[in-house]
Formats: sequence, C-alpha cells, structure tokens
Amino acid sequence: MIKTTEKLVFESPKSLKAGMKFPFCAGCDHGVAIRLVAEVLDEMNLKEKTIAVASIGCSVMLYDYLDTDCIEAPHGRALAAATGVKRTNKDKFVLTYQGDGDFASIGLAESLHAALRGEKVSAICINNTTYGMTGGQAGPTTIMGQITKTSPNGRNEEYYGYPIKIAEQIALCDGTAYSARCSLDSIANIKKTKEAIRKTFEVQLQGLGFGFVEILSTCPTNWHLTPQESHERVRNELFQVYPLGVYKEV
Amino acid sequence: MTKKLTTGNHAIAQAAINAGCDGYFGYPITPQSEIGEFMSKKMQELERAYVCAESEIAAINMVLGACSTGAKAMTSSSSCAVALMQESLSYIAADELPVVLVSVMRAGPGLGYIYPSQGDYNQATIGGGNGDYKIIVLAPSTVQECIDLTYKSFYLAQKYRNPTILLADGLLAQMMEPVEFNEYPYPEIPIEDWALTGAKNRASRAIYSLEPKEDRLVERINTLFNKYKQIEENEVEFEEYQTDNADLIVTCFGSIARNVKSAINQCREKGLKVGMLRPITLYPFPTKKYQELAKTTKKFLTIEMNMGQMVRDVRLAVNGQVPVEFFGKSVGQWLSVEDIIAEIERFNG
Amino acid sequence: MTEKNVVIAGFGGQGILLAGEVLANALMLDEKNVTWYPCYGAEMRGGTVNCEIVTSEDEVSSVNKQDADFIIALNQISFDKFLPKLKAGGWVIANSSLVKEIKSRIDINYLFAPITALANELGEIRISNIISLGLLAKISKLTSVEALHNALDNVLPEHRKNLLALNLKALEMGFNFSLAPVAAC
Repeated sequence: MIKTTEKLVFESPKSLKAGMKFPFCAGCDHGVAIRLVAEVLDEMNLKEKTIAVASIGCSVMLYDYLDTDCIEAPHGRALAAATGVKRTNKDKFVLTYQGDGDFASIGLAESLHAALRGEKVSAICINNTTYGMTGGQAGPTTIMGQITKTSPNGRNEEYYGYPIKIAEQIALCDGTAYSARCSLDSIANIKKTKEAIRKTFEVQLQGLGFGFVEILSTCPTNWHLTPQESHERVRNELFQVYPLGVYKEV
Repeated sequence: MTKKLTTGNHAIAQAAINAGCDGYFGYPITPQSEIGEFMSKKMQELERAYVCAESEIAAINMVLGACSTGAKAMTSSSSCAVALMQESLSYIAADELPVVLVSVMRAGPGLGYIYPSQGDYNQATIGGGNGDYKIIVLAPSTVQECIDLTYKSFYLAQKYRNPTILLADGLLAQMMEPVEFNEYPYPEIPIEDWALTGAKNRASRAIYSLEPKEDRLVERINTLFNKYKQIEENEVEFEEYQTDNADLIVTCFGSIARNVKSAINQCREKGLKVGMLRPITLYPFPTKKYQELAKTTKKFLTIEMNMGQMVRDVRLAVNGQVPVEFFGKSVGQWLSVEDIIAEIERFNG
Repeated sequence: MTEKNVVIAGFGGQGILLAGEVLANALMLDEKNVTWYPCYGAEMRGGTVNCEIVTSEDEVSSVNKQDADFIIALNQISFDKFLPKLKAGGWVIANSSLVKEIKSRIDINYLFAPITALANELGEIRISNIISLGLLAKISKLTSVEALHNALDNVLPEHRKNLLALNLKALEMGFNFSLAPVAAC
C-alpha cells in the first residue's frame, strides 16, 4: 500500500455556505467579490458577529452564499437597514453588499446619508455600469456612449446626463473613514480589492466611520461580451471614467 | 398614582420608552414632530438608539433593520409621509418583523394640511403595499389610551411578529389631558429562535421576502394567513357603550368617540335608545360583534372624521342585516356633540 | 351640565399655551376632568396663538368647541377673532393695553384690564399671561389662585422655579384687580 500525503491547497471560506454554488452568469464578477468578502470575514474572524444586509438586484440572494446572519432590505434601503441594525447592536459587525443601481440610484439618499452620519458599517458596491438583473438597462453608472436596452443609441448628455463617480462622492462625506475603487480584472487587482475590503471592515471595527469600496465588475451577458472581453472593457473603457484608487483614508 | 397633564404625542413617546423601545428612527412632520423631539432627548439620555433619518423611507427601513435583530424599534409619522412607508410595510409583514409605527393622521389627500383628520383609516387597515398582508391597527381615543395602546402595540408586534400601527390623529396628538403612566404590563417575548444575533453556536439565519419557488411562496403566504386568523380570533378589542336595547348604534373610532359618547348620553336623557360601538382594534376588526348587535339593533350610524372609510368595514360586517348609514366631515374641527345629536335624531326619526 | 371652556388667545411670545397649560394643571389638581387643545403647527406662524381648555365634572364631551364660556384676549386680533365665539352671558377678559375698549355685543360680559401695563408694574412684561389667569380665577370661579400657583410648580421647569414667587404676585394682582369699572357699565 502506498501512502500518499494530501495537502490542502485551496478551500472554500467558512463564511461561505458549504457546498454552495454561485448561480451567476459565466464571467460575472459577483462570485469573486462575494468570495473575497467571505475570505476577509474568515481572516478577521467576523463570521459569528456579522449581520449582512442584502440589497435588490443580482446581489439579492446574498444569504444563499454567505454563511452569516443576513437581512434583505427593500430596493435601495440597505444602508438604512444597516443603520438600524448597527445602532441597536453596536457589538455586531454590519456590512451591506449592493449593486450600483441599489447603492447609487434608488438608494443614493440612504447611501450618502449613512456616509454623512459616519455609520460604523461597511458597504460594498458592485459597479457593472448597468441594471443587470432586469436585463441590462441604463443605470446611474452607465458610461457616456454605452449602448444598453434603454440607451439604444448610446448614453448621451441630452437624454441621460452623466454617470455618478461613487467612490469620489462618498469620499467627500465627512463621516467616511475609507473610500476606494477597485477592480477584479486581474489577479493583482483582485488582491488589491481584497485589501480594500479588509480596510472597510477595519474602519468599522476601529469605530472610525463609514467604510466603502466600489468594485468595478463585469456583466458579460448584458454587455454582450465574452468574460475575457468584459475584463478588457473594464480596463480599456471603465478605468478612464472610473479611476482605481483610494479616495479617502483616515 | 399621580396624574400628569400630557399631550398625546408625549404620552406615546414616554410609553414607548417605558415599553423598552431600543431604537427610534424618524423624520419630522406635523402634527407628530413632538414624538421625535421627545425621543431625541430621552433616548440619548438612556443611551438607546436614535436617528434623525433622511426621509421616512429611510426611517422605516432603519426600523426594519433594528427589528430584524430582535430589538424593539419604532418610527412615527403622519399621512403623506406614512404613504412613503408602504413598500417597506409590505416587506416587514412578509419578513414577520415586530415593527411599531405610530401614524398620526392629518388632512389629505396630497399635502392637505395639518388639520386633524381620520382620513387614513384605509391607509392603515388596507394599506398601499403590494401583496397579501395585514397590519395590526390600534386606534386610541384618549391620551390615556395613547399610553395603554402604545404598550399594546409593542406587545402585539412582538407576540405575532407583525407590523403594528398605532393610529392616532392630530387632535389627540396635540391635546393634553391628565394621564397615569402605569408600567409596561405585558410579558417580554423571547426572540432567540428567530432574530439575527450573529451565527454563534447556531446555523446562520436569513430574513428575506424573496421566494422564487412558487410552492414555497404559497406556503409562506398561507403561514401568514394562519397567523392572521389567530390574531382575528384572539385580539379583537372594542368599547361597547349603552348598547343594551339600543335601536340605533352609533359606531366610530379614535378621538371622535368622546363627542359621540356625550351625544349618546344626551340622547339617552331624552329617552332615545342609542348606544355606541367603538372598535379599538381596527384590524382585527370586531366583525362578530357587529353581527351580534345587528340581531338586536335596528340601525347603525357610522361617524368618522373623513368621507366614509370605516363604514365599508361596518357594512361588510353587518352584511345587509340592518341599514348602515354614514355621517362625517373630511377635516378640521371635529363634529360637535350638537351636530351628532341632530344626526342621530334625524336618522332615528 | 357642569362643563365649561376657556379660550386663551394672543400673540406668539405672550405665553398663551403656557397659560393654558397652567390653567389645565390647576383644574387637574382640583380633581376635575380637563383637556387642553392648542392651535398648532403652521397656524402659529401668522403670529397669533390660541388654546382651549375644557373642564367638566364628567368626562369632557369635546375638546374643541364651536363656542366658549370664557375668552382671554391678550391682543386686538384675538379679541376680534374670538368675540363672536363667546356664548351669550359669557365673559371676555381683554388686555386693554392692546385692545380697544369697544363693546360690540351687548349679550356678554366684558372685563377690560390693562394687563400689559400691570405686568410692567411687576417689572416683567412676559408675565401678562399669568395675570390674566388671576383675572379668570376671580370672575369664573373655575379654580383658585392657590391651585394655579401649585399648577405653576407642575409646569415650570427646574431652572425656572425661581420665578414662582413673581408668578404668585402676578396671580394675586390679577385676582385682586378691581372689577368696579365693569359693574358700572
């Protein structure tokens, strides 16, 4: 009998539900982002004290992936719900996971005011420049010229106005302790994203204020691109409009 | 116990604090802004949660978040701003969260005005949220009842894990009368088996309303309606006044009952056989009581400070057994005792 | 029916709502049923304020009535606005420092007193409201100076308790105001 030594080189984070499979479209970055969140929760030993807030959009079934307590908020209201959770449970770790439509369109008031109040919560916003779940319509982050189902001729100034720079706006709020924009287009950027997520968690734990990270992500299905082309689009088109970087760190 | 002269708004706020409210989240609107003002001071003194929300939409969702952790939390608002909360009330009902909403009615529709009104009976009992759901609705008629029913709102919300509205009006909220602040009389309801408290030494929990599988959605709604049946069987509350041998029963809710009662007293002195039935729980509605009284009385007269909202529920309950008439006025100064007596005499004649 | 109601009206800043609260507290201390109802919100922005106190041996029948047994008018606008609301045989107490002594109705009782001037005699113009309560106690017999004084103790916040002595003087000044001019007309 031959003895073999098995060495575990890769495992699923404990903060992800065991045996869970992401239902996202091929090439979508949601799965990577949620995995990063779970990894940081594991590494910071936060799973047992976490109450996550899910939003409306492709991110809605967060509770099917994260193995933490979780509440679903109505559309756009994740940071209001998170405020309610945190204010009545100061010892808990509270995070929201939202899309750009939820965070910066319907929920812009809730998002900005949570930042202005300096809520001790961590917010993660996935920016894929479109309303993904409803089938790829123009959203608040759709870039100029981008063709979507509701901008068939491309986003123009006359009909649509301009996209919002979320990380920059959040950085302007005095209650914000950390605001960054990251991307998942490369291994190096995935690593940076993970560090940004860690930072948003740390500022909450240290009681410094609102922690925020905007993650540029792909939507191959609605962009009508392959996964690889999608990441190329992130690099070639989105980086110019949405530069990566840390916009505020106290 | 010594009596204290107190406004309806302050009575509600102090009662909420006595009931153990852990968090108040609100946005000002006349005629209930004094609740938030009172809370901003007292909650901070007690080191409980208080947030000046950026909107009523944010406020109700803060309450949703707080209540999902088993905290006792509330908001208060009025009419056009309660309208903003309807989406979340539907979520809260689906999520089975013990939310308390104090709704102080002013005049509508639209911005209307700050005059007192009872025009939000439909808004509270039927609601404008989507889907099949019910909200427990309690309607105080005196400042003392503002206290007693605030206590009850917290208790019923917790007991049934169901959103509960305390439906007051501008007159009741702004007026003062002597009251006694008795202690919160209800038992505490355990939250350990459902609340989000962090997945420590137990499986993780989620509270959500999304249910993509048809059979499971049907099951969830059935579960809700089994609960509503329990509420309807166990929690109906009403005030019955001089209904014995009454040929005419005047029925009303909230603070207009004071005027109606005085009218009944004066009519009785004149020898008219008149009584009053006042639902205290607007949901669950005292349907059986109306059916019972319909067997002995000849007529019902529904009096409301609106253009006729509760009268629909009265008619549904009475179901044609005897005539049901309506007398009301949209907003402003409450119908006087004299107006009510005149209407009783006209209708009785 | 033993029910009586009082409307107190004047400018914002004259302590109208406070006077009403003191009166309602006094009636509560007298173990009567009582309600206090203010004009509220935007209605106050025009500069006039009023509140209504209803007291009864039985339950108060209604909080906001169409007419009144007693009216205290501390300025001209309030006098003009509420005089038609006074019941026949009712009393109006008017601040003659600010209200013209014109008796447009013959079916009611008038008490014109220079309330602002009296307050100035006490060195505190803001105490007009309390002087008017002394006048009301005298002509209405709804409550006593003693009950009103105890009521002030209920109503004044801790940091204003030093004003209790002055308030008692104001109540007595109102209560002892000579009614002779009224009897003469």
